[in-house]
Amino acid sequence: MNLINAELFKLRTTAIWWIMGIVLLPLYAASVLANWAQFASTSPDQVSDPDQAEQVRAALEPINVATTLYTSGQYFGILIVLLLSAIIVTSEFFHLTATATFLVTPKRESVILAKFGAAVIVGVLVWLLTTLLNLIVVPLIMNNLDLSSQLGEGAVWRAIGLNLLAFVLWAVLGVGLGVLIKNQLAATLILGIVYVVGTSAIGLIFFLLTQYVAQWFENLQVLIPTTASQLMISGTELPGNPPRWVGAVVLIGYAVVAGFFGTWLTKRRDIS
Amino acid sequence: MTGPASDAIVVDHLSKQYKKLRAVDDLSFTVRSGRVTGFLGPNGAGKTTTLRMLLGLVTPTSGNATIGGERYTELHDPIRHVGAVLEASSAHRGRSGRNHLRMICRAAGLPDSRADETLELVGLTPAGKRKFKGYSLGMKQRLGIAAAMLGNPQVLILDEPANGLDPEGIRWMRDLLKALAAEGRTVLVSSHLLGEMQVLADDVVIVAAGKLVRQGPVDEVLGSMGTTQVRVRTPQAAELTTALSALGATVAPQADGSLLVGGAEAAAIGHAAFTASVELHELVAERGDLEQVFLQLTAGMAGIR
Ligand SMILES: Nc1ncnc2c1ncn2[C@@H]1O[C@H](COP(=O)(O)OP(=O)(O)OP(=O)(O)O)[C@@H](O)[C@H]1O
Ligand SMILES: [Mg+2]
Repeated sequence: MNLINAELFKLRTTAIWWIMGIVLLPLYAASVLANWAQFASTSPDQVSDPDQAEQVRAALEPINVATTLYTSGQYFGILIVLLLSAIIVTSEFFHLTATATFLVTPKRESVILAKFGAAVIVGVLVWLLTTLLNLIVVPLIMNNLDLSSQLGEGAVWRAIGLNLLAFVLWAVLGVGLGVLIKNQLAATLILGIVYVVGTSAIGLIFFLLTQYVAQWFENLQVLIPTTASQLMISGTELPGNPPRWVGAVVLIGYAVVAGFFGTWLTKRRDIS
Repeated sequence: MTGPASDAIVVDHLSKQYKKLRAVDDLSFTVRSGRVTGFLGPNGAGKTTTLRMLLGLVTPTSGNATIGGERYTELHDPIRHVGAVLEASSAHRGRSGRNHLRMICRAAGLPDSRADETLELVGLTPAGKRKFKGYSLGMKQRLGIAAAMLGNPQVLILDEPANGLDPEGIRWMRDLLKALAAEGRTVLVSSHLLGEMQVLADDVVIVAAGKLVRQGPVDEVLGSMGTTQVRVRTPQAAELTTALSALGATVAPQADGSLLVGGAEAAAIGHAAFTASVELHELVAERGDLEQVFLQLTAGMAGIR
């Protein structure tokens, strides 16, 4: 507990947390507006392909609109949590504070564990922030879309809960990856770029594999972490997608692997 | 609190291999409590590597290093037992010195007030709330010492702590370390300032090229190597040289007009001068200093590897 407290103190006593906060807020506002605009302008009649039309119709059901809107800000919120979690680790090496840290706590797995704990708390806080904002703003948007707030629906609350799980898992993933990519600049750049561009790039690869190699590659798309977390929280089942527990399993798998490998690596490393 | 005898540092056949370089090579020495021990060696001798292995930051290739009989990584509450100042250790540029210390307090379960107490101890209180990036070299060094003192440890390990300190700071640190040793604590300090070490240290451990060269009390090490010479000043150099040569002493005239006499005690020289009716203006026995001894001992092993 002392160690988690110390990790949070480290985060609090530098500028990084409010810089990330300042970055997050406009991005959050943009995602809410984008979601709103999308739901306000799409209708299944515009789509010619019957399969796709079916998907769009499902997505436009009030409950699905609600789950999407109430989890607005997930995309950028998780990006921020991912970067912060990685920085919790890399800044120790970047600022040469690893020596002081490991002198106080020579049992390195305890330090890494505390970093996982601190990152999870950061994840929860960012989730709390975006969720609170959503609970204030989204009912107004639903009203504008001529839908009821849907807050009585269990599915909405389940989506919000799963959204929390996504934040937590990405926080764990961030710490693990921060250990692997110890260089701060490299870590933030690689994670940021892979998160933003990687989804579509890897998605494209999967698309090509599906088209030209074998149809079943399509089912592996869920292995892309961002796709997995999308799937995990995507409201009621959408047609043509694997069940959403698959998304959860994939994300948990990544988080566990990154966590264990990161801890193992930290224990072996020379600090000099 | 553990007794003085149990706070010894024992380095036992310690080695560290970096790719092709054997940075530390089968090194063994002990550091006693209640004394200041100087850890000396040319650049790249392996001092920092040894201290980092001692503190569990670097894994030895082979061998053991213990403090009070236990490895650092096994100590229950390490910073209440051992304080360390290491080179290439640092604080976050954007964090204040005080918060740097508080962060250590939180992790160690010490009260925040220790941060202010040690800031006061190292004379950094006025700059405590300033960010680390604005600190001068000496201020950073003082912050490091403050961090080491947070847990009021029984054992202190310092890697070139005098680096960047002003003369007043060096004197302050000398007094601090001496006082701590006098209280029965163990103090191991590496340094290149040999003049300072001669004044500060009770014992020395000298390493070169990763190996132990000499270990022992400063006086003993100086005595074993320092060929004592006597500096003599006289207006009758020729007469004195003749008289001393008769005694079997060697006489070397110096540029400043004095004579350096080897192989004879000051008393014998004075007596020879008296019987030869030679007038003396100066008669001083000159001990070899730590610097001389160090250079002799590490001659040929000092090259950067
Ligand atoms: N992480 C590392 N990787 C490779 N070589 C290293 C590493 N750390 C130290 N060395 C090498 O080990 C040798 C000993 O280094 P060390 O820093 O222990 O010397 P030192 O006695 O502290 O020198 P100085 O007086 O200059 O501080 C050097 O040749 C150095 O280049
Ligand atoms: Mg060194």
